[in-house]
Amino acid sequence: MALIEVEHLKKYFDTPKGPLHAVDDVSFKIEKGKTMGVVGESGCGKSTLGLTLIHLHESTGGKILFDGKDVTKLNRAELGKYREDVQIIFQDPYSSLNPRYSVEKTIMEPLMISGRFKTKAEVRDEAYRIMDMVGIEERLRGSYPHELDGGRRQRVGIGRALALGPKFIVCDEPVSALDVSIQAQVLNLLMDLQEEHGLTYMFVTHDLSVVRHISDNICVMYLGQLVETCESKKLFEKPIHPYTQALLSAIPETDVDKKMQRVQLKGELTSPINPKPGCRFAARCMFATEKCLEPQHLEEVEPGHFVQCCRYKEI
Amino acid sequence: MSTENTNVKSEDFLKVEDLRVEYTSMGSIVKAVNGVSFELKRGETLALVGETGAGKTSIAKAILRILPDISATEKGKVEFEGQNLLALKEKDMQLIRGHKISMIFQDPMTALNPTMRIGKQIEEAVLRHNKVTNAEAEVRAREMLELVGIPADRMNEFPHQFSGGMKQRVVIAIALACNPELLLADEPTTALDVTIQAQVLELINDLKKRMNTSMILITHDLGVVNETCDDVAVVYAGKIIESGSKYEVFKHPSHPYTNGLFGALPNMNLDAERLHPIDGLPPDPTNLPDGCSFAPRCPYATDKCRHGEIELQDLGKGHFCACVRLDEIGKER
Repeated sequence: MALIEVEHLKKYFDTPKGPLHAVDDVSFKIEKGKTMGVVGESGCGKSTLGLTLIHLHESTGGKILFDGKDVTKLNRAELGKYREDVQIIFQDPYSSLNPRYSVEKTIMEPLMISGRFKTKAEVRDEAYRIMDMVGIEERLRGSYPHELDGGRRQRVGIGRALALGPKFIVCDEPVSALDVSIQAQVLNLLMDLQEEHGLTYMFVTHDLSVVRHISDNICVMYLGQLVETCESKKLFEKPIHPYTQALLSAIPETDVDKKMQRVQLKGELTSPINPKPGCRFAARCMFATEKCLEPQHLEEVEPGHFVQCCRYKEI
Repeated sequence: MSTENTNVKSEDFLKVEDLRVEYTSMGSIVKAVNGVSFELKRGETLALVGETGAGKTSIAKAILRILPDISATEKGKVEFEGQNLLALKEKDMQLIRGHKISMIFQDPMTALNPTMRIGKQIEEAVLRHNKVTNAEAEVRAREMLELVGIPADRMNEFPHQFSGGMKQRVVIAIALACNPELLLADEPTTALDVTIQAQVLELINDLKKRMNTSMILITHDLGVVNETCDDVAVVYAGKIIESGSKYEVFKHPSHPYTNGLFGALPNMNLDAERLHPIDGLPPDPTNLPDGCSFAPRCPYATDKCRHGEIELQDLGKGHFCACVRLDEIGKER
């Protein structure tokens, strides 16, 4: 059964120039124990989608079903419970930790708030167990964030997210601030934890090689819209939407023997403020016709493979 | 502006010999660059690859002599067209900086002056190094903007009116405004999205070909290296530990650290279950270990690695590697 079901989710922000469509009519499901990767360029609304899912942003419209319950209609007390089940790991381990809290205190904070433990000693023992789990050495327990390197700081962020035994974690670019050798350590840790605890992830990133490595399914977003979603392997083998094709071909190749066939994109993202109906990628798409200016719908091309492009058959 | 003289191939274009950079920070000495030597031929591109803090940016800043005087000292030799840049007076260096050698900085958001129109920022470089009138400089600025794919009408706009990718193009336009012979590009695409990165790399490659500019590209992205460079030097703890042509280094990575870097990358073409991170962290530059600085993280390290200076060994075909256990490691693997 799907742990998370998103139906026609919308998140608009009010700006002086009109509503900014950060997330516009996005629907998908995430099965229990699986990882959904969300990719797209900066400004396409992938982080907003993550924040809206865990209800750090109030949604403008649509439904978010968690274990069959609509999250958008929860009251305050129920939301408190929901937040024990869903957690987030932030992009920047430098600014998402309180510089005045030691590692120990950072991880103990959610445990104290939860009220699950009677004494402080119990809380501390639990915090130590979590630190061991995410690989924070004993000698670092009393350290402050500025004393740690990026990889260790991100481990603290992961430990804090795992403290209350969540079912679902939104990982918002958790490795993009880290060097490759450290990035590999953190990715391995996330995958090990998923296996051990049966966690469900939504993995937001712009790094396509990382997303391919870690995800079971992938959503490709463009200016707030979901343009293509399917199994990770299938997406890399047979991308259908012109944007996905361009995105995949833009990845620099590390094999010296391979010659790149590149689909070059002209121009940059257009503004998501008061967008026109129709395909938002049309302005940069080489296959665009007048048909693309009409409102688009997500179509099931193959079982489990959805594409939002009216011309996919011809292309 | 003339470009004809740049078509002559010259062997001694840039030669860096035993370059050392030290910073003093809170009473301790940070050894950022520890004896780096390399050569660059005209029209070629060298990639400096390595992790954060490996000393890549310090190398570039030492070549351009823009390290802070108060806290940094640079030693060694940087021979550019037969002149040792490190021995030049600041006044003479100013004639070279921004004119013959220029730099593209990593972060386009902070490299531009937020209170100055972008056209003026390009003209500034042109006026400083060429005997031209303001009107001529403006024409040049327009040309440069068009060259990097920005409509010249936008030259009176401020940096905040541009997106990240466009700001990086403006930075590139400034760097190229005086037709430099050597371009130092410090992570020019790290702050950009892949699609914009592809555009910028294409632009750099195209300009390189058209103007026969030499380039030192600093990056940690091995994919970017593959797409733009001829030669690669892998930097670790302020030393070049492996260097050679791109093909040699990518096909036969020899140093355990280079192998580690390749192993840590998620591979687009293979379905590997787990990544192979390099254990541990880069060494503290205030307290570098004796012998090979990679030894504490190296799975093949023995006592032999922990003493003395590790020299670069010639592996043939211009491929060099600083590892004393090279022959034995080959057998173990």
